[in-house]
Amino acid sequence: MASTLLAWINRRFPFTSFVRNELTDYPVPRNLSFWWNFGFLAGFVLLLQIVSGVFLAMHYKPDVNLAFDSVQHIMREVEYGWLIRYLHSTGASAFFAVIYLHMIRTLYYGSYRAPRELMWWSGQVLLLLIMATAFMGYLLPWGQMSYWGAQVITSLFGATPMIGEELVLWLRGDYAVGDATLNRFFALHYLVPFVLCVMVLIHLVALHHVKSSNPSGIDLAAKDNIPFHPYFTIKDLFGMVVFAVMFFAVVFFAPETFIEEANNVPADPLQTPPHIVPEWYFLPFYAILRAIPDTLGGAAAMTVSVLIFAAMPLLDRSSLPGGARYRPVYRAMFYLFVMDVLVLGYLGTQAPEAWVVVVGRVATIIYFSIFLLLPWVSKIEERWLRRRGLPTALQATMASERRQKASGV
Amino acid sequence: MRSLRVLSGVLLATTMMPVVMAAVLADVEIPSDEASLQRGAQLATSVCLGCHGFKYLRFGNLQALGFSDEQFDSLRAGQDLDAALDSYTPADVARDLYGVVPPDLSLMAKAREGGPHHVYTLLTSYYTDESGVTDNHLLPGVRMPDVLGYSSAATPGERTELERQALDVVAFLSWAADPKVEQRERLGYFVLGYLVLFAALLYVLKRRIWARLG
Ligand code: HEC
Repeated sequence: MASTLLAWINRRFPFTSFVRNELTDYPVPRNLSFWWNFGFLAGFVLLLQIVSGVFLAMHYKPDVNLAFDSVQHIMREVEYGWLIRYLHSTGASAFFAVIYLHMIRTLYYGSYRAPRELMWWSGQVLLLLIMATAFMGYLLPWGQMSYWGAQVITSLFGATPMIGEELVLWLRGDYAVGDATLNRFFALHYLVPFVLCVMVLIHLVALHHVKSSNPSGIDLAAKDNIPFHPYFTIKDLFGMVVFAVMFFAVVFFAPETFIEEANNVPADPLQTPPHIVPEWYFLPFYAILRAIPDTLGGAAAMTVSVLIFAAMPLLDRSSLPGGARYRPVYRAMFYLFVMDVLVLGYLGTQAPEAWVVVVGRVATIIYFSIFLLLPWVSKIEERWLRRRGLPTALQATMASERRQKASGV
Repeated sequence: MRSLRVLSGVLLATTMMPVVMAAVLADVEIPSDEASLQRGAQLATSVCLGCHGFKYLRFGNLQALGFSDEQFDSLRAGQDLDAALDSYTPADVARDLYGVVPPDLSLMAKAREGGPHHVYTLLTSYYTDESGVTDNHLLPGVRMPDVLGYSSAATPGERTELERQALDVVAFLSWAADPKVEQRERLGYFVLGYLVLFAALLYVLKRRIWARLG
């Protein structure tokens, strides 16, 4: 019976072959570390956000007079509404945490390099979509920080030459952030995640075409690849539950960690909060914005600081396999970059006093220098490494993989 | 040299910050026992409700604090169970009296940096100077009168009693801002326990499956 049904389906839809090609026979390098878990986790968090978001939307009211109250209605009167809301608010932070770790993995191991440029670029689009979704979602509770954050960020578009003023008006739908803004942000906040899903699909199609990178940075011979199922289904599932332990610890025991106090005060267009801070995941970019004295320059630098990741496959000129693992100079730059981003993030939380501005400028210069010097540094580093002789471990792996591929195992 | 000075400035600022914060806000333990919450609810409804509302609370919600029937009836003063805890003073009257509408207190324990400690410090920072003017150390010029009478407390004993009252009120405010905390944490232990067990099982299973690779 079941096999007849399956045969019926398979004549019309490639079910069995799909499962075989993409799951039970899909080859994955066996040496992947836990750093390769974050892509799957990002997919899990996306699903969580969509499901919790749909349930929130059933009770939320996108109206400046009702929005704040409707969130409290969810928190207090809807059955398990507090759980749905805390899942969603914590999920936003978890999403960025997972995505940033995923990016850090890619940068460290050089997984953005050929033939995975399109994965990296579709990932960059995903990052932008997630940022837009998070920014619009943050307006919806209509607290003080929601309101003033949106007010500040939308006003940045006013620095656009020629069309600045019209652009701001077009984004807000009104002269100031108001009911029109809230309604359109809600509509788009609901829509963009589905666009995101399409982009994820593209990301996955590319992945299944080029296959996963691995810590050695070398495309491994067939014998070093194992089927996705069951080896990576169980590994990803285990990783997901470990992640869930940490995630739910926040949801149940510290859910207000990622909610600013000022956002528990309803939006008041007449009262600017003493100190407007974005969510933690925007802080480094916000610090870059503030480091530049001119609004247009600041907004441009902030935009470029997010987009510049896309240039990595072009900037990294080294032809050595792997990323930081076998490249001491690149590795040093990588750690400097991570530290620099942390410093920028810290500066983003501080009021813009003199020293914050000075350190912010230094950190901003370091941020961009790391990217812009990479073409030369990677070339010089490679020449130096080749002259000195590649690490024996790397040479051995390269040689044995080449031999195995030649003999077809 | 200059950058070194900046760097030491950064380090100094980061290490100093918590110290400064702690010096401003009183470092007290906020109680959450039933007796404190009940006393706090009584003070809040008899004192704070005179000027402030708790618009996200209904009288019926207060039953969760374990009052006896008589206690609850006197607290409720004939109000409907579904009625919100609105202030006795209408907003426009309050604005005429104080020049500002006193903020809603339902979320106050989560709406200021330091949360309940901010409110506790506010209530116990009133003082009267030689010229007889009462003000507040935490928020100088605040338009809320010294409702607990802290500035006129004559003896250390009186002051201790008022500090206890402030603690009770703040305990109630914390509950009001997060009335589901008990349900949430109870469910949390269950969920986390389940997940930890599940993770352990999956780990064993993963080891077994990967062992096939030899
Ligand atoms: C006589 C009227 C009155 C009573 C009674 C009263 N308040 Fe207030 N309260 C005010 C006013 C007016 C303000 C606004 C102060 C301002 O903005 O300057 C205020 C502000 C506050 C604030 C906000 C301070 C801030 O950080 O901005 C808190 C917290 C507060 N009250 C707590 C309480 C508590 C707790 C009680 C009960 C013990 C209480 N109040 C009783 C009038 C009152």
